[in-house]
Amino acid sequence: MKSASDGQAAAIDRRPRLRFDLFKPTFFVLAAGLIVLIALPLAWLVYYSVVDPNGVFTLGNYITLFTDSRMLQPYLRSIGMSISVGILCAVVATPLAWLVSRTDFPGQRVVRALVMASFVTPPFLGAIAWEILAAPNSGLINEIYRYLSGAPRADHLLNIYTMTGLIFVIACYTFPYVFTLVANGLDRVPSDLEDASAILGGKMATTLRHITIPLVLPAMLAGTLVAMLQTLTVFGAPAILALPAGFDVVTTKIWSMFQYPPHLELAAATSMPLLVITVFLLQGKSWILGRKGYTVLGGKSGVPRITRLRKWKPLAIAFAVIVLSLTVVLPCLALIKTAITHRVSDVLTLHNLTLEHFKFVFVEYSATRLAMWNTFLLGILSATVGTAIALMAAYMVSRNTVRGSRLLGLLATAPIAIPNIVLGVGFFLSYSQPALRLYGTLWILLLCFITIGMPAAYQQMSAAFHGIHTELEEASRILGASRLGTLRRITAPLLRTSVIATWCFVFVGTIRELSAAILLTTANTKLISVMIYNLNESDDLGAISVLGLLLLVVSFAIIILANNLPGLGRTPKRQAA
Amino acid sequence: MSFLELSGLTKRYGALTAVDEVTLGIDKGLLVCLLGPSGCGKTTTLRLIAGFLEPDGGEIRVDGRRISAPGATEAPERRNMSMIFQSYALWPHMTIFDNVAYGLKLRGMKRPEIKKRVDAILEATRLSQLASRYPGELSGGQQQRVSLARALVVEPETLLLDEPLSNLDANLREEMRFEIRRLHDEFRYTTVYVTHDQSEAMTTADLIVVMNQGVVEQAGTPEDIYERPQSEFVAHFIGGANIFKGRWDGRDMVDCGDGVMLRCESGEFSKEGDTAVSIRHHCIELRANRPDSAGTNWVSGNVTRQSYLGPHRDYLVTLASGATARTITPVDVDIEKGQTVWLHLPSQHCRALAH
Repeated sequence: MKSASDGQAAAIDRRPRLRFDLFKPTFFVLAAGLIVLIALPLAWLVYYSVVDPNGVFTLGNYITLFTDSRMLQPYLRSIGMSISVGILCAVVATPLAWLVSRTDFPGQRVVRALVMASFVTPPFLGAIAWEILAAPNSGLINEIYRYLSGAPRADHLLNIYTMTGLIFVIACYTFPYVFTLVANGLDRVPSDLEDASAILGGKMATTLRHITIPLVLPAMLAGTLVAMLQTLTVFGAPAILALPAGFDVVTTKIWSMFQYPPHLELAAATSMPLLVITVFLLQGKSWILGRKGYTVLGGKSGVPRITRLRKWKPLAIAFAVIVLSLTVVLPCLALIKTAITHRVSDVLTLHNLTLEHFKFVFVEYSATRLAMWNTFLLGILSATVGTAIALMAAYMVSRNTVRGSRLLGLLATAPIAIPNIVLGVGFFLSYSQPALRLYGTLWILLLCFITIGMPAAYQQMSAAFHGIHTELEEASRILGASRLGTLRRITAPLLRTSVIATWCFVFVGTIRELSAAILLTTANTKLISVMIYNLNESDDLGAISVLGLLLLVVSFAIIILANNLPGLGRTPKRQAA
Repeated sequence: MSFLELSGLTKRYGALTAVDEVTLGIDKGLLVCLLGPSGCGKTTTLRLIAGFLEPDGGEIRVDGRRISAPGATEAPERRNMSMIFQSYALWPHMTIFDNVAYGLKLRGMKRPEIKKRVDAILEATRLSQLASRYPGELSGGQQQRVSLARALVVEPETLLLDEPLSNLDANLREEMRFEIRRLHDEFRYTTVYVTHDQSEAMTTADLIVVMNQGVVEQAGTPEDIYERPQSEFVAHFIGGANIFKGRWDGRDMVDCGDGVMLRCESGEFSKEGDTAVSIRHHCIELRANRPDSAGTNWVSGNVTRQSYLGPHRDYLVTLASGATARTITPVDVDIEKGQTVWLHLPSQHCRALAH
């Protein structure tokens, strides 16, 4: 009896150690992988920023950056642009969000869907669409204007190649950040707060001014900061609209330093302030959203109160129609029209219809076929690998499997503070070294896209794990399932929806990426987004439109798929017997 | 030797010692309640028994076999235990039948056998009609019964319950209390039940273990714990008691100052420092007039609060020393607030507490 129990105890001594050993190596591999993905590019970036071309330490790059007006001006211009875009977004998106969320505005679902559509549209595609619409010579709107007014050829109504045009276009594709945050906030402002004001004698306007607006102000400010951040770090739209207009913003300036003859050290130094500004803006955002007193936004009591628009309804509808036409409908129609007619300026008649651009893109031109293959391959790979890493990291953090596993969470969310173009510079510097040369291969793009997608993927997976009570897993363990068995039978099925949603999210984010990709692609590793940019330089708008529409269609298909997954919530729909 | 033995069991979280050298033996087939205020370490103890946590010191043995010790903790799935969780932890993606059948499938049982056993336990817990539903479609009480059925169907040696009734409404809670006791009597597994509700513990347990700040204050039958508390904490926490403090006179009296002398017929006096005297609220006799026999075990004070509770009245009396005494009287003793009253604390109900 005694020896039997001793044998048991000895067996027990060994078994748990074996079990835990499985997590330790996973932890180290994940941590090491994430450190390489994030820390290596940043380290090279910092190194390059403080050396001269011969590798000698210098602060000259920073001195040039802050004294040379050719360097300083793009920075100031970018900051001015991002403030303007931020204000424009807040002014347009907040009323729209209020209309959709708290009034009897008709067609709220349509508005939300169209805003979502402009969210999905990459800004560089929007910029090209607006080029088609409002270029001074060939723009469709200007053509129509000249046709109607009989103005001479040299006249134009709109010129998109201006700072104003650029601000307008970027705002078209960043206002959804403000809209989404404000609308979500308004959806959750409990109606009793407003009722309380009304019962104290506040009229509708008073309640709106003193209660509702102050309550959503943090959401609006936070959204504005995100919009500003996006504007500051976007490359595509300024490259398409500012370069022909003859001025630079900071992102196009960084890109130009990669053109022959390259100034990599200066590019690295130029990237650093962007990094710092990003960290500050994000900090500001979480400070605004995290302040106490505004937490009612998470409260849940009653349905939001609906304001009747009455005589203002036509005005409200006109406002929404204008905003959505400018941001979604017109650009989309412009792309479709360009895709199916010979030339941009052709009148849309049956005679002018053609499939030549489709034939060119899908059949004749091998470069676009390669770009499509590369893009979707990278999209699938980075979504799969990124989701897998995020899944493992989130599991290890939320279930606290190994001491120090929280480090993984910090690492996985760190890239959120690195603008894509800065990350692109870092990756270029890290992987064009003779020792480890990935530049020119798809690997460098894959690594970069995984890093870019990691914060969002990790946050989604982490939220998903927090949604699964640990007791659900413990119940399985105590009934006799091992850790891995529990993962397979309980955790995995409960996570399936979130995993697919995360995958879709990363995929859509990857196939539209340009800011980092523009620095990392070569002739053999072209992507659709880079292709669109290159074709724009050769003025091949028909092919661009086809590629752009392809991107949009794929993105929407994936998003609709992700949104219509069968839910596995607390109350699953019963199968019809 | 007991069936389930905890010896010197310790668990620390940083500077906090959640479970501090807990030693406890539980005989086979008993229903034991770990009772204490929140944060007292009872749930941590339960999770140590289940194997979700590894102890920092001490060990746990089942039937003489060591299952937990620092660095050598057997996985929960290898302990032949079952557990009922506070959140019920029903898997939302499985039907009630599948939830209950889970443990049997893991034991490699054949399909017809699984069906037979699951049907039987669903019958016993009055859930047969709900077998094909999902957990989200059930009420709280039904979910609780599913969780019970799922834990019992595998016929565990040991059943662990973590505040299983705290999410139910009052009526249901009472009903489930007896249900748990009934099922325990039917199957006779060893049960460890964690709760902070003393009436829950009183009605279900064979043995109550009162815990406070990570240590066992007292373990005993419900009667033991109630009638013969061994510490101020237990007297206060279980059933409520008035506590007076004073010096032991060396024989059987405690001098509480202001001429208040309390003779205690039970308990243990403290040689040094204060001795606490506890007396239950309903054991104090309340008089409106000064009785002739007033002296030892009598005190006077002012009524500061009186509430009518239907069958009783609840008085709060402030004594000359500033201390207060609560007493429950028959409903016909009706004295207004502000009046002077005399309280009799019968010596057979006064219990001296050294701790």
